Amino acid sequence: MKNGNSMFPDVRIPYGTWGSSYFPAWQTSALAEVNLGQFAGEAAAQILGKRHVPVGELDYMVIGSTVPWHWKFWTAPLVSSCMGRRLPGFHVEQACATGLQAVLVGAAQIQTGSHRAAAVLTFDRTSDSPVGVFPERRAYERTHSISDVWDNFGFDPAAGSSMITTAGTAARKYKLDRREVDELTAHRYEQYFAGRKSGFLDRVLFPFEVLNLQGRPMGTIDDDFGVRRVTLDGLKAMRELDTCVTSGTQTHASDGMAILLTTTREKARELSTRPEVDIQFVARSEIRTRPSLMPEAPTLAVQDLLQRTGLTLKDIAVIKNHNPFAVNDAIFSRVLDYDWHNMNNNGCSLVWGHPQGPTLTRSLIEGLEEAVDLGGGNVLVFGCAAGDVGIAAVFRVSEGAAS
Amino acid sequence: MTTMRQTTLDTLGLGTVLDIFKNGALPAETDDLVDQVFGKSSDRGALVISGASGIVGAGKTMQLGSRLESFGVPVVALDMAGAPDGIGRHYPGLTRAFGHEKADAIMRNIARLSYDGKQLPPKLKDYSPRLLIEAIPEILELKKAHYTIFRAEFPDIDIRSVTSGFPSSQLGVGITHPAFPHEINKVWEIVEPKSSATTQLLWALGLIPIPVSDDWSFVLDVLFCGLTQAALRYHEASNMPYWKIDKFVRKFVGPNPFRAHDAIGAKGANFLTWSCLHHLGKEYGALFTPTDDLVERKDSGLNWYPPNHFRPLVNWKLDADEQDTFKTWVLGALFQMTSVMLKEKRAHLSHMNIIGELCAQFSPGVLAHLRSLGADRVVGLVDAYHAFHPAAAKKAWHPGVFDNMDDVDWQQLYVNAEHDGAVGVITIGRESYNSDVDAELNRAIDWLRSEKIDRVILTGDFHLSTQLVGADTSEFFPALESTDRGFEISHGWSMTARRFHDEFEVSVGFVNGKRCWGGCLELFLHCHYMVSVEDATLSFPEVTLPVVPGVEGCHWPFRRTDEDGQAMVMNLLLGGRPIRASDATGWFIDHAGSLNDAITVAWKIASGVDHTYALRKVEEGPLAGVSGLLSHITPTKDPGADAARQAIVDTIRASCEATLADALTIQAKHSAGFMTSPAVKKGAVGSAATKTLV
Repeated sequence: MKNGNSMFPDVRIPYGTWGSSYFPAWQTSALAEVNLGQFAGEAAAQILGKRHVPVGELDYMVIGSTVPWHWKFWTAPLVSSCMGRRLPGFHVEQACATGLQAVLVGAAQIQTGSHRAAAVLTFDRTSDSPVGVFPERRAYERTHSISDVWDNFGFDPAAGSSMITTAGTAARKYKLDRREVDELTAHRYEQYFAGRKSGFLDRVLFPFEVLNLQGRPMGTIDDDFGVRRVTLDGLKAMRELDTCVTSGTQTHASDGMAILLTTTREKARELSTRPEVDIQFVARSEIRTRPSLMPEAPTLAVQDLLQRTGLTLKDIAVIKNHNPFAVNDAIFSRVLDYDWHNMNNNGCSLVWGHPQGPTLTRSLIEGLEEAVDLGGGNVLVFGCAAGDVGIAAVFRVSEGAAS
Repeated sequence: MTTMRQTTLDTLGLGTVLDIFKNGALPAETDDLVDQVFGKSSDRGALVISGASGIVGAGKTMQLGSRLESFGVPVVALDMAGAPDGIGRHYPGLTRAFGHEKADAIMRNIARLSYDGKQLPPKLKDYSPRLLIEAIPEILELKKAHYTIFRAEFPDIDIRSVTSGFPSSQLGVGITHPAFPHEINKVWEIVEPKSSATTQLLWALGLIPIPVSDDWSFVLDVLFCGLTQAALRYHEASNMPYWKIDKFVRKFVGPNPFRAHDAIGAKGANFLTWSCLHHLGKEYGALFTPTDDLVERKDSGLNWYPPNHFRPLVNWKLDADEQDTFKTWVLGALFQMTSVMLKEKRAHLSHMNIIGELCAQFSPGVLAHLRSLGADRVVGLVDAYHAFHPAAAKKAWHPGVFDNMDDVDWQQLYVNAEHDGAVGVITIGRESYNSDVDAELNRAIDWLRSEKIDRVILTGDFHLSTQLVGADTSEFFPALESTDRGFEISHGWSMTARRFHDEFEVSVGFVNGKRCWGGCLELFLHCHYMVSVEDATLSFPEVTLPVVPGVEGCHWPFRRTDEDGQAMVMNLLLGGRPIRASDATGWFIDHAGSLNDAITVAWKIASGVDHTYALRKVEEGPLAGVSGLLSHITPTKDPGADAARQAIVDTIRASCEATLADALTIQAKHSAGFMTSPAVKKGAVGSAATKTLV
């Protein structure tokens, strides 16, 4: 594939038609109190409107979310009705891989020829997640209840460990140094605030005013609320929760949405604000590693991807890793001999939070935008997901795309 | 006799307003017209409304039934046997409006008959039908078959269709096309070769018939359905949700087209809008062709606003450039549609303008809006719209119709003037006073003065304005934030009012409608004499809004009455309650009587015929006694009302203690100052502004 082959040769992501909400940390914004499926639909319509893409141009929708929301049974047709037009489509869910998996599924809809333009809309509200009640005849309690976000974070029903345990276990396996992980984390924050200062994030993030039942403002989502500057000394002083894991070197739960489009080459030129920018799907990989080693899974997925495509990291212009733990980046750097300073520019989920469904969609959008700034190149996006899974994909932004 | 422009009464074959005063009577009597349409009382025939259980049919059964009952005209409500009862549900409203006794009498006069669509009920003959108002479904062949069976049985019957869009030439009958809500909206668009007794009867019954040309769809429908279409096209282009588009349409045009569809009943309203646009699209092309969304809503009957469990969650704001884009889509399309109607000369320009205001909340009317922009900007806007929607440029665009905006027909949309060489009449055809009316009023005064007329009657137009309610409070919205703007309004309108006192030898304010309130009452009080029909109400409701009366209401009425009268004026200003004109004679107005009596008196005064009414002196110096009356004011428990009363008291004191020359500016400053206060912002004006100014 180094020679330019593509996994979905007829599919493109039209440049400049994407967008994301800010990701306020859980319980810090009005998003904590609303039906996020409705919010995602209405916000997506607005993003596309501001991007001059009429919803009428779309004929399909893939939605991705992991936390149950009110009326989720109705999936994409309901969410798209909140955009003003009901579209056929379905719901994709794969824990924290959802945001990338949904994009790949959206591309497949185009490649098969069944549809011409699909919206990939991912969203989640981790704040006040619903509590599920499951009748279990064989359990002595007869009925199990589960708080969707926190109970799942805390317990892998197949392997028995919590998410944070996987980070500590992986850190020990790779003999990571706490000092390096703290330095890496501090650098990630610097990258994020540099992206804020340069205006880079303003090009992909949209503010939204949220209304209450009476139509009056109940809050404006115009910041990644909860993100505050950290210092290396501050990180060093934090109590270690597991090996190389502190409250500073792991992400936080948040709420938000993100959208991008998949479409044909011709339609992409029609919809894009810069038709000369060509964004293709190169390849993808997905693997499972051994139990309780989730943070190494994305690295292994990237290894697999590079091996199959013949690409090396020198061929990659932009690298974006979904890193709920700073450990993830450190392992990637160690295994693939890559300087972690050079990846996750302008921010990453370690800093701006982790609403699950849209996390990797925002990472991808930011990665593509960065590649366009660089004049094109390959974009590697990857991340971990519940079940000790790693997912990775490479996208190619046409060279000469700089404005 | 000379008129600035054709009177709207003349379009009904009813002459001029000056004729009314000169003849001492209205141009047609209701009894005579009832006789002409339904036969003499000894041989009185019936009004038949078919499709009487539908929204239109039931509403019109109520409206006409309540007016014709006292004339002994039976109303036959005809519909299919299985049609759900649309009439009975109006009974509570009828009792609220008329009381139980009268409501029962109205219902007793309505005979409900069923038929099968093929044969008329034999009983119908007993009622001797003379006039059929057909309100059956919008299927051309069905309607024609309906007329055939009626004509076979009753060859002389006058048939009128309420059709939502078919031309008379297609239907083969005349058209009386009403506006929603049908039980109370007085406006009917009329298609007939020349004004008939039936149309004049509608006018005599207090309704507002408006003659229009025989084209596809009607003026109001082109405006309202067309505006909906324009809003839908903007939705297609921008993704903005319908509810938010409604807000911006309200801000820039006036109506809430999507809310209106839901309020009327989306299932029926969506179909009617689609039907109107579908036929217009066939005739005039892509400008009107229904959008996919409308087709889907027509088929599904779904509301435009989201259901309660999906009340809007994400707000949507537009920056200045985006607002321009919005205006281009919506106003560009609307103005192109209006060019079609102007080209086809579909109606008297005043009618074309006011119908949107009276029936669809256009503010101002579409022609006044066009006029305010000027031809070049309008054409530029439509050209820009065509850049967005090129298909619309291919047909139905007539920029030349805007070339003559300086003509009097364009310039005097709301106000007209007439004279006979000695006495002039200025008529106001808008129920609320705004800057358009103010400017037109000044032009009318200028015209009369240029014609050497120094005796004048100021009145309503006996057609489009059935009352004068006061200032159009939407004019005050900018004044909520700017005392300069508030002062400009108050000072400017007061200057206009003073012209009736200063520039004419004799001026008579004549109240011919149901009420004369607020700013309109202040205006009329500037005339040397004031005459009213006896059952009209007069009021200064400003304290209830609250605002401070801005057209010299806080001093002028005190200057033209005695001490007892001043106490009564004080009650009017601080109480905000209306009084009957018959209770205001002497201390406040000069005469109140029956319509014909009041007309006769007004003409006598204006024409200088011997009369007994003394000219009121307007005190030019400071008023000594008024301040003493203010000591009796006691506070209420309502802080907003107390703030308003205090502001009015302060204005009365300051302006009455000044000379007449200084008082105008003083009261304008007070009025403007209070307009920016928290009390006004929290009150009716502020609330309306908040809802309108998204």
